[in-house]
Amino acid sequence: MSTAREQIFSSVRAALTPLPERTARPVFSKDVAEPHWLAAEADSLALFQKRAEATGTKCFTDLESCAAWLRSQGVRTVYIPAPLSRLAALCSEFCEVTSNYTRARVNEIDAAFTPAAGAIAESGSIILSDESTPDRLAALAPWHHIALVSRAEIHRTIADALAAMPEDPNLIWVTGPSKTADVEGILIQGVHGPGAQACLII
Amino acid sequence: MTQSPSRVTGRTVQLMATCLCDAFFDDVAKATVEVLEHAGCEVEFPENQTCCGQPAFNCGDWPASREVMRHTTRVFEGEKPVIVPSGSCAAMLFHGAPLEFEKEKDLPTIQKLANRTWELADFLVNGLGIEKWPGRFPARIAFHRACHTRGTGSGEAALKLLESIDGLEVIPFGEAEQCCGFGGTFSVSFPHVSSSMGCLKLEHMTAANPDFIVSGDMSCLMHLGGLADRAGQPVKTLHFVQILQSALHRHG
Amino acid sequence: MAEQKVELFARRLDRGVQQAVHSNSAAGTEKRYTVLGKDYSAPDDLRRLAGQIRQHAIEHLDTYLEQAEQSLKRQGAHVHYAVTAEDACRAVSDILQKAGAKKVVKSKSMISEEIHLNDHLGSVGIESVETDLGEYIIQIDGDHPSHIVKPIIHKNRRDIAKSFEREGLGDYNDDPETITRRARVFMRDKYLQADAGITGANFVSAESGRLVLVTNEGNSRFCLAAPKIHIALVGIEKVIPSDAELAVLLNLLGRSATGQQLTVYTEFINGPARANRPSGPQEMHVIFVDNQRSQILASDCREILRCIRCGACLNVCPVYRQASGHAYRSVYPGPVGAVLSPLLAGKNFKQLADLPKASSLCGACNEVCPVDIPIPDLLLKLRNRAHEEHVPSPGTPPMGAFAKLASSPMLWRFAMKSNKVMNLVPLEKLPLPYLQPWLKTRTLPEWRGGEFRSWIKDRRKK
Repeated sequence: MSTAREQIFSSVRAALTPLPERTARPVFSKDVAEPHWLAAEADSLALFQKRAEATGTKCFTDLESCAAWLRSQGVRTVYIPAPLSRLAALCSEFCEVTSNYTRARVNEIDAAFTPAAGAIAESGSIILSDESTPDRLAALAPWHHIALVSRAEIHRTIADALAAMPEDPNLIWVTGPSKTADVEGILIQGVHGPGAQACLII
Repeated sequence: MTQSPSRVTGRTVQLMATCLCDAFFDDVAKATVEVLEHAGCEVEFPENQTCCGQPAFNCGDWPASREVMRHTTRVFEGEKPVIVPSGSCAAMLFHGAPLEFEKEKDLPTIQKLANRTWELADFLVNGLGIEKWPGRFPARIAFHRACHTRGTGSGEAALKLLESIDGLEVIPFGEAEQCCGFGGTFSVSFPHVSSSMGCLKLEHMTAANPDFIVSGDMSCLMHLGGLADRAGQPVKTLHFVQILQSALHRHG
Repeated sequence: MAEQKVELFARRLDRGVQQAVHSNSAAGTEKRYTVLGKDYSAPDDLRRLAGQIRQHAIEHLDTYLEQAEQSLKRQGAHVHYAVTAEDACRAVSDILQKAGAKKVVKSKSMISEEIHLNDHLGSVGIESVETDLGEYIIQIDGDHPSHIVKPIIHKNRRDIAKSFEREGLGDYNDDPETITRRARVFMRDKYLQADAGITGANFVSAESGRLVLVTNEGNSRFCLAAPKIHIALVGIEKVIPSDAELAVLLNLLGRSATGQQLTVYTEFINGPARANRPSGPQEMHVIFVDNQRSQILASDCREILRCIRCGACLNVCPVYRQASGHAYRSVYPGPVGAVLSPLLAGKNFKQLADLPKASSLCGACNEVCPVDIPIPDLLLKLRNRAHEEHVPSPGTPPMGAFAKLASSPMLWRFAMKSNKVMNLVPLEKLPLPYLQPWLKTRTLPEWRGGEFRSWIKDRRKK
């Protein structure tokens, strides 16, 4: 008896063989799907900030204002990876700071900083990888997530980001806070992932 | 919608009046003749014409539809452009017929007729190059772009001519892309859905308070007009070619 | 007279539900239109390009599927194949049972609906929880999604509040924010306790082996963040040549589905966890499911396999807006469903052969389709197939006599003239079964057959 694989491949081939000709692979330029307003945006950093804010991602460019925002949000426990000691010092003034993200504390840690692997100016997206954010839950479970985006790693377009995807088991583009409109089409933020998405540009 | 990029044009044309104009709307067929003549055309009317075969095509009875279409190709033989004052019947000739003849030997004959077929507004603007229509028609109209002109130049062409007429104002209305609910035999096999669609369309259009509801397809107008009439709130409907004709008369 | 099933459903549909479906769909159409218009000067060119990309992909499925398999294996994923829905269900439970998995979390996936995965997992004692908010509500209600992207478009907040109360998720509260928060808390534990996460895939890149998943809620991310096994159910038609095509497809998918430039989470999965990247699932299984797709590929309706499941055709469809999703009696409602569902039914085609009739053929679906599927043409082809297979179609007039009349010019002209008698009789009293449904809600204009013909004859004489 033939395997499922053989069966499927043989029916696919049987379906395609009679075609007199097959559609050729279209050739298109990389920028074909760029919005027409993109050309007028000279500065990728400014564009990223504008697009990120438009999708609901708050942008900070200094540690102090970011820490002040978390304080105003009433954050109680924040996860900050060990190397970010200055940030940890600022946050420890108003909440518990931990550099250890564990499953046991998933529901207690209500804010987390994780380094991003890059960003996309065109869409205001943050790029996370398993390399940059070693614990996927840390960037997902807390109500507040703050991605650390390096200025030098902002891709201008979606096509640029696709062309430069690093070798990693998982990449995720985060474009705003987690949201749903399942109930009567009403937009609610913070379904499973962060209800408040932010980035700190460094 | 598939349309040949290089369609036959010219000023001696054959008119396909459509079965609805044959049965109910002689005024529209007459207006079509006058408007084409004003545009400098000589209009022939092959009198053995009947119907485009669309009802059977839409019902899935393609053999029956092909029988009618074969008759139609015989009636409209030759090289002249065939002009149809209906987006729907025109689309049957240039898109539907090639589809139902895909596996038939006489597909080339069908394709030849398809390449000669024009919806009226499309022909006036894109076939003859008319950009502006003379005369005057002081009214506010709500224009329903007939569904079978999607993906063709017809809707824009009709609007271009209408908007160029002195005194005429085209007013916007809600959910403009929505269908009037007619759909041929759909209107009798899905009467509730069809009427509900039509009533919604009427609601949107009448909310804009137009003097006339205008389209390029008498089927849509027959449906909308019939619904409004049955509901005891009649509306005034006009085919756009009747406006072109009327504007000419007021031109003097 | 017998009634079309979609018509009957629409006629009996609760007015509140119909209005909710209509307004939500219309809002979706409006958003899509606005964002595409704002961003692109020629969105139709982009749609046609995307259509070519997808058509190319499905017409080279033999090549790309094999390439995808190699790429996936190279990254350490296990690749399985399932010919039928039952095979696919069994493949999932076999993997789970082999790993001793008892609890799974599921991210929204149309193909898992199509194969009725949850029922199967339940029958072998595996708990499977839908994590998408809408899908979860569908699951606890024992209901079916009525929209591809908005599964509970037919429910209101009061319905949902009652369901949550019944399931012990707090007292009755119909505030959408409260409902969402309660789901958040409930799902947390489910994610953390789950042995496996099941997802679908929006695309699979043959060249890179990347599996692309888009969501807004973040639930698919959770399904891949907490559990140790990832199973992806993928229709064989989801394969695309390479990552480069995503620039076109992703840009159209979000905008068409929800009016977003991109959905909130766009995830690229490239294999299971590695020694130096330990965060994700340790095992990754991709199950390629045929379930009639290769048969559709062989048919003259293969263009439907381009579909990227955005739901734009549902939103814009006037019949969907009147009838809602359940009228289509299948997993895929609306215009795409009216084509896909009868085809997926395989040898049971006749049972769903009425669906292609439930359309005025207005073509709005084709006009909004991000991959330019000629849906009206496919509906027509399926109507023709139903006719050839002698599927009865209530309310559809027989066309034989019409064809005879319309092919005989003398008879035609006689009928045109003689039908004037209709102006003299009360039409409502005529025993014409196909006229009465028209007359119930509309009038007919005055019969003027022959008038134009005599006018033009006279004119030619002058």
